[in-house]
Amino acid sequence: MATNAAAEKLRFDAPGPAFYELDPVHFPRPLTRYWTEVHPAAFASGTADFARYYGMLIGGLAMSYVNGFGYKNVLPPPEEEIPQRFARADEIFEGKLWREQLKEWDETAKPTAIATHRELQAVDPDALSDDALKAYLRRCRDHHAAMIEQHMRFTASAVVPTGDFVAHVSDWTDVPLPELLGLMRGASPVSAGASAQLERLVAALRGDPDAQALLASTDDPHRVLTELRAFDGETGAAVTDYLDLVGNRPLDGFDISEPTALELPDALLRAIRTAVAGDAEANDVEQRIADVRAKVPEEHRDTFDELLGEARLMYRLRDERGVYSDIWASGIMRRAALGAGRRLASAGRINEPQHVLDAGLEEMCGLLDGAASPSADELGSRAAYRAAHSAKDAPATLGTPEPPPPDPSGLPPGIARLMRATGTALGALFGSSEAEHEEHLLRGLAASPGIYEGTARLISGAAEFERIVQGDVLVTISTTEAFNILLPLLGAIVTDSGGLLSHSAIVAREYGIPGVVGTRQGTELIADGARVRVDGTAGEVTVLP
Amino acid sequence: MAGAPVEALRRVPLFADLDSDELHQVALLFKKRHFVQGETVMREGTDGAAFFLIEAGEASVSVAGSARANLHAGDHFGEIALIDEGVRSATITAVSELDCYGLTYWEFRPLLLANGAIGLKLLQSLAQKLRSAEAS
Amino acid sequence: MSGVLPLAEVADTSVFGSKAVGLGEAVRAGLPVPDGFALSGQTVEQVAAGDEATVSAVIGTVRPLGGPLAVRSSAADEDGADASFAGQHLTLLNVPTVDALPPALAEIWWSANSDSAISYRKRVGLFTRPSVAVVVQRLLDPETAGVMFTRNPVTGADERMIEASLGLGEAVVAGLVIPDSYRLDREGNALERRPGLKRIAIRRKEGGGTFEEEVPAAAAEQHCLGDDDLAALSGLARRCEEVYGPGRDIEWAIADGTLYLLQCRAVTR
Repeated sequence: MATNAAAEKLRFDAPGPAFYELDPVHFPRPLTRYWTEVHPAAFASGTADFARYYGMLIGGLAMSYVNGFGYKNVLPPPEEEIPQRFARADEIFEGKLWREQLKEWDETAKPTAIATHRELQAVDPDALSDDALKAYLRRCRDHHAAMIEQHMRFTASAVVPTGDFVAHVSDWTDVPLPELLGLMRGASPVSAGASAQLERLVAALRGDPDAQALLASTDDPHRVLTELRAFDGETGAAVTDYLDLVGNRPLDGFDISEPTALELPDALLRAIRTAVAGDAEANDVEQRIADVRAKVPEEHRDTFDELLGEARLMYRLRDERGVYSDIWASGIMRRAALGAGRRLASAGRINEPQHVLDAGLEEMCGLLDGAASPSADELGSRAAYRAAHSAKDAPATLGTPEPPPPDPSGLPPGIARLMRATGTALGALFGSSEAEHEEHLLRGLAASPGIYEGTARLISGAAEFERIVQGDVLVTISTTEAFNILLPLLGAIVTDSGGLLSHSAIVAREYGIPGVVGTRQGTELIADGARVRVDGTAGEVTVLP
Repeated sequence: MAGAPVEALRRVPLFADLDSDELHQVALLFKKRHFVQGETVMREGTDGAAFFLIEAGEASVSVAGSARANLHAGDHFGEIALIDEGVRSATITAVSELDCYGLTYWEFRPLLLANGAIGLKLLQSLAQKLRSAEAS
Repeated sequence: MSGVLPLAEVADTSVFGSKAVGLGEAVRAGLPVPDGFALSGQTVEQVAAGDEATVSAVIGTVRPLGGPLAVRSSAADEDGADASFAGQHLTLLNVPTVDALPPALAEIWWSANSDSAISYRKRVGLFTRPSVAVVVQRLLDPETAGVMFTRNPVTGADERMIEASLGLGEAVVAGLVIPDSYRLDREGNALERRPGLKRIAIRRKEGGGTFEEEVPAAAAEQHCLGDDDLAALSGLARRCEEVYGPGRDIEWAIADGTLYLLQCRAVTR
């Protein structure tokens, strides 16, 4: 029986003597050469910074790339700094020093970053001479590196207060982690994709019937966006303002290989339509906070309030530090590189503009200078390699596992508390960091487009068919022709297994209802009778609160 | 041998007034059908397609979730399907391996249209059923 | 006319159904279809009714196929309705010998005449009497099998989308696993390869029927198709398009290293 011949040829050697762990959550696919050259130094520098700032017992984190896959390892702290780290950890909690970082973020780091992003994205790469383009590419790269470092620098502040809160409340109650994280809701508009610009856009569109009509049309999405930008007055201004803010952001991921919002006008328009149409999400977070607080023993409730306050204060930094730093910068770098790519492709130097994304930065500049390597085919095959592989092709770890970290209870209180907070945060938040504000979100294969909200009905077989009522969402392991009889009643289909060519996918498409198949755990994670939103275009199922 | 045994049909009240020839004609239309233990033979509230005569095995009858009766060899069920394609009034489940003779209305209908006498006699038995149901 | 024909001679959809006729066309075009026969709707009904003459004729004609057999319904009265949508299509795998064929045919007849089948037909506006023809073929024991669309059904792109799993292809068709998924361009280059979670494989059982075999974790997440397989599938896609035209939904299987075509019909969606 054949296996993937390409994967068999890959050798995965540990890059050094340490213990390395694959990070499939942030990097589900191999990274571009550009990324593997730019990321490691910036990442190491930024993480060393937060480790020192917080007095952590690590030197920082390092990222290495093996066959394009990202592997992380922990660096040991410089021994001579350990005493001051112990002291520093105490200071952190006494002085709530994360607030200093938030202040620095709001007053300096974020506005400066945004100003540079806007300045860089105002440049039209196509209008530059070759020399000017090279200089521009290098500026964008330097900015991207600085932004990666910035992102990492603020990481601890983004997670330690939340981890601290969760660690304490877990001692006092048995409220599960996702519920505790849910208490942060409302604290971070940017996590929900919101921003002042989006609010302005929604207000403008809601007040402009012509714009709404255009928004609702099925015309070419690229044209719709261009026309909306050109509207007179507040509408056009609000659209432009919003697109300037989000347009150069990759919709998913961090690498320059990921398409940005403006490149996917369909997805962008959908997001705008949802925002304009959407009702404000019922915010019962106050009630839920009260519910959890009631479970906390009375003597700890003041501390509960204090810790929750800090966690909610800092929560927005989790997303902002990415969105306003390296995520934006990556989109700008991509845009610049594609400018070079178009130029190189029309000169016949590379086969397709996007192949330039597989060149390192100096290689890009070299190509503009007429260098012979890398060849067009070499770049093409690098691109094909990335498309053909995923984290599943890479081993989860490399090197010898290290002994477990010291038992925090034997350490001075400041460090112990810090380690617990960080451990809780990195263990739970990092592992599900993508999923945190996506708790109750399931992913599967986008089998049939459309969005539908309704009541989930868990059906194990024909014996339960009569439980389905008009408008239900069928949730089951898989379907067969026997299920066809239910179709006129269903609003959407969700299955655990199955592919895009399976029965459930085919009938969902034929019947024109949203379908998400292959969720793996739909029947475990969706409760019978729960309200769900099925997005068959994105391949997501959300259990609504 | 094709069809159901005529003797089995004789015991079905619905066919009580048919003479030998007419019974033979009806009997030939039946086909064997097997249900495995535990299989739902028909479900309350769904459209019916066939009438069944049990040759061997046992089936349970329930209405609105509560058990009403058990059926055995020689018993029958589902006759409404022959007449008006209406919904099933009970759920029938095979308690053991169940061998039946089944007749769908597709097969029965042409006979009914060609042979008015059979139709009339069926109507008369149904009327009888109605009267006794109303009386109780 | 004869109600039992070798697939190579099958051409009348009103008698043998579109699945059988599709396979007939494939055989005549030299596509790799497992040997088999088509039985008309009337033949199937007569066997179900117990008509002795028909039963012996069927057994006699089909016996040279040997066993085990795959018996698939081939709906003969689509009336323009999409097959995968309107039908209650039953497939019986691993009928162990030709002597076990008559009860299998009766089962197929009844599934087309069951309460739910009739209900469903009425609901979609098909009020005519169901007539179900059947295709009987040698049953393969494939290493891998699945489905291939010659056009991306979600995006409409001009690509081949392939889903594959271990054992019999029902695992993919019935969505029992998350299959490995491959996208190829027209030239056969792989645009994407995504391993699935192929936790079970449907295998033949001694003496008839099939069972679900548990697949060890490593194999469940390893690609089951290699470059050679993809090249063969790409070739099959091209040949099917030459015979039938664009937009094909193909069921295939690889047994003893050979690629077979099990079904080729129009992509409905």
